[in-house]
Amino acid sequence: MTEDNFEEFLKKAAQSYNAPPARTPREDMWSAIQAQRAAGPRVVYGGGGGSATRESSGRRFGSKIWLGAAAAAVLFLVTGVGIGRWTASPGSTTSVTAAGPPQTPSSPDSTPGRSTGAVPELGRAVASTGMGAGAQTSPASTGGARETIANGGNGGRVARDGSSTNPGSSSAYQITAVRHLSEAEALLTSFRTRTTTDQQMDAQLGSWARDLLSKTRLLLDSPVANDPQRRPLLEDLELVLVQIVQLSPGSTPQDRELIEKTLQQDHVMTRLRTAIPAGPQRGS
Amino acid sequence: MGLLAYESRSSVNDIELITRVVAGDAAAERELYETYVDRIYRLTFRLAGDDELARDFTQATFIRAFEKIGSFRGESSLSTWLHSIGVSVSLNGLRKTKRLRNREAPMEEGLTVGAVPVEAEPDLKEKLARAIDSLSDKYRTVFVMHDVEGYTHDEISGTLNIPVGTSKSHLFQARSKLRVALADFAPEWAS
Repeated sequence: MTEDNFEEFLKKAAQSYNAPPARTPREDMWSAIQAQRAAGPRVVYGGGGGSATRESSGRRFGSKIWLGAAAAAVLFLVTGVGIGRWTASPGSTTSVTAAGPPQTPSSPDSTPGRSTGAVPELGRAVASTGMGAGAQTSPASTGGARETIANGGNGGRVARDGSSTNPGSSSAYQITAVRHLSEAEALLTSFRTRTTTDQQMDAQLGSWARDLLSKTRLLLDSPVANDPQRRPLLEDLELVLVQIVQLSPGSTPQDRELIEKTLQQDHVMTRLRTAIPAGPQRGS
Repeated sequence: MGLLAYESRSSVNDIELITRVVAGDAAAERELYETYVDRIYRLTFRLAGDDELARDFTQATFIRAFEKIGSFRGESSLSTWLHSIGVSVSLNGLRKTKRLRNREAPMEEGLTVGAVPVEAEPDLKEKLARAIDSLSDKYRTVFVMHDVEGYTHDEISGTLNIPVGTSKSHLFQARSKLRVALADFAPEWAS
């Protein structure tokens, strides 16, 4: 209520901020525009400006061609690799089990997604986390699945025991979403329980949140977001993650309090926990 | 007041208008100017806080728009496109002006530039204006557009080319900072 009052108060008071005059000096400005255009280089529609533009247009055009060609080549390559992986997946396995052997911290490249074919690229991306140094056990890990986020060297990895047997991209998306929400819950729990003066931890959480933010946006563009309950949750999660990413190492306790308030107001944690089913599907 | 209202009303007309402007129709240029000048001028004035600067920025916005309209691809509405030019011109212009003023005048004088005389609660308004001025460009722009000029997050997102979530986050941060700056006036909104 106080929050609403403040917003109303602020909006009202801010109306006086740099208040423009009641009448726009239309004629004066139009005359000035005409004068400037008459004095300046002749306008060439579709190509930008005048002589200066024309002088450098050859160079700009050349660089644009190179950029375009490079972009097309990259797009072609990425599309080819994507199609290859996507079409190869269903034939190779119908399971999304990712029960690989424990991996050593010295192999940051290895992600469980590579050993499976059924989970879409999105799922593979979600399966790898970057949490900086140290090891944490996710508080989300209960039930039949165990998820341990361990780390060493440059990147993180997720070792899982547990499986889901439903084939098809739809169930794969659901599993990916549940994994993602579990990770988000772990991040937010870590955020809430860390000490306020631990700047190294803040940096690690920021990096982790950035990673999760990009995945959240991918999920928002995926069929997962068609779920009317899941979409608002992902949108609220996106907002919180943006706030955590924007926390600089020198940020004040007030900044953290604001994030905490957002979490409480939108009941993000409660909704996250509700959205994550208990049992083997969780985090597996 | 919102861009969306403009868009739904004028999207069809806009296409025709753009076609005529690109073809070199002077009357169409004037029509485009008349349609959007009020909103562009209001926004640049809110950002600049100075009539002379607001006029300069508005003029620059339309000059640039007329120059570049041939390359307008219709990915956004004409209104959004014009507003994004307006905001970009204003923020760049303000940065240059700030640098010049910092070199030429003491800080205190620079802070008074753009102050418009207002009645009632001068202390609050002065403090609020100073607090808004002290916000970073991104927070101030989103705050001015949303809370002062009434743009929606969708409109701000299109104009500033940022995700809606970022727009909301910027507004949240801006309000929070203003709340701290206006703590002395807490009884006025707490009651």
